[in-house]
Amino acid sequence: MNHTPQRPGEDDQLRRLLHDAVDDVQPVHALGAIRARTTNSSRARRGWLLGAGGAVLATAATVAAVAVLTDPGTSRDPGVAGPGPSAAASPSTDASGIPSDAAPTPSPSPATPPSGTPSQSAPPAAETSTVPVYYVGDTSRGPRLFREFHRLPDDGNAVLTAVTEAVSTTPDDPDYRTDWPSGTEVLAAGVQENDGGRELVVVLRNDTTDLRLAPVGMTPEEAQSSVEQLVYTAQAALQRRAPVQLLLARGTGREQRTDTLLSVPVSEPLAEGDPARTLAQVWIIDPADGARVTSPFEVNGLAAAFEANVLWELRDGDRVVQEGFTTAEECCTMAPYSFEVTAPPGEYTLVVQDSDPSGGEGPEPWQDSKRITVVP
Amino acid sequence: MSSAAGWDADTAVDELYAAHYHRLVRLSVLLVRDVGTAEEVVQDSFVAMHGRWRKLREPDNGLAYLRQTVVNRSRSVLRHRGVRERYTPPVVSDQRGVDEDALAEERRRQVLAALRELPGRQREVLALRYYLDLSEAEIAETLGISRGAVKSHASRGAAALRHLLEDAR
Repeated sequence: MNHTPQRPGEDDQLRRLLHDAVDDVQPVHALGAIRARTTNSSRARRGWLLGAGGAVLATAATVAAVAVLTDPGTSRDPGVAGPGPSAAASPSTDASGIPSDAAPTPSPSPATPPSGTPSQSAPPAAETSTVPVYYVGDTSRGPRLFREFHRLPDDGNAVLTAVTEAVSTTPDDPDYRTDWPSGTEVLAAGVQENDGGRELVVVLRNDTTDLRLAPVGMTPEEAQSSVEQLVYTAQAALQRRAPVQLLLARGTGREQRTDTLLSVPVSEPLAEGDPARTLAQVWIIDPADGARVTSPFEVNGLAAAFEANVLWELRDGDRVVQEGFTTAEECCTMAPYSFEVTAPPGEYTLVVQDSDPSGGEGPEPWQDSKRITVVP
Repeated sequence: MSSAAGWDADTAVDELYAAHYHRLVRLSVLLVRDVGTAEEVVQDSFVAMHGRWRKLREPDNGLAYLRQTVVNRSRSVLRHRGVRERYTPPVVSDQRGVDEDALAEERRRQVLAALRELPGRQREVLALRYYLDLSEAEIAETLGISRGAVKSHASRGAAALRHLLEDAR
């Protein structure tokens, strides 16, 4: 024992109490049960390795591709997700009903500058682009993803920029967060072509925390949301629902497949999780948190609201100064809504929520909120 | 356990099971109280360690991984279970002639119930320190927190546990 007990007698007493409490627990013999389960997993792994001539090659290809992508000199590689004109300017809903991550048409406000005009030639170093970044926020149904748009220097690799932002920076909205342990960095990110089509690759690294395991205190739901945060952010930056292979770099920095990240299985490329179970179902997109606007101002967002009903309130402290409702364009899938608010100058909290189909029996409605200053 | 070079995953499970299974289950009982749950947590942890053995390779790493996984899974089981059972000070019988076994049983129940009243971190630090006799550094590593935090959880936890047990008396 290396610790120095302040009161040795009391330490001994606690030691005795804890030992007394459990020393006569005789657990059921379980080696057979454990062996039965590990034998299965060995067989599965061997099967994977047997079929792995290709897999080993694929891994080597990953290493090469990632090496290429980390080199800024080659970032115009067609496989790299660049913020090309098509990526920045086509808001749409893809076939699966998942909202496109192209920037919406924000009303100009200091907090959400409109997308820059992408140039056809290689961008100068100082150019910026607007990238979608997902964060975790608590909702009445557990941790879910919310989305913000961040204006960041454009280094020609939007995936790397966006995922780095997601794991390592604080969101604008104080209700959101990232749960990735501090010190987590994205070593490389990009796309590679393989037989099955395009695959996104994200290589994480953390020299102080073992990312394979969920840190003590992180719930399985938070861990799952954190993995989905990377999947959604990478796909949004690429503007494409490609599967995402997460890799972990350790020691010398050589990336490798890992069975788990934050205890979530990630050995295979991941498809995005079901949006209904992954995303918060009401988002305010514009104005952003902390925005200064002039009255009247327009509010835009996405909601998968019950019967497409979207309710809103403008609050001054606890006092509701304005309220109203609108309908999203579609019910039950993340669909755009917008409304206009008129209010005298002041500081407010804008709250948007869906209607409660259960009349108070079920979980609280989905909701998002933003702090807004209306200036004269 | 010095001649462990070259253990494969199966051998690692067999050897670490023989040496540590009972202690790890008891550790988990201190954290989750229920023996059946603790057995499941520890069995799952052994299966997880088997899957990771290629990377762990050394018995010490295997044991450290088991400890950390048992603590993590015990905690997540508690969270999953959701409802934290309220602590009810036990009714102490004033009957004469209560036999020794029953008294000892009652005391064990009190200690486990009191542990369940503590915040998770304090409970974990106390169990690792006073049951597994880990050093502050080892506890810090197992829980992924600083040594300073270990110290403060230990002293607060010890004080709170004493307080709870005195109340129950």
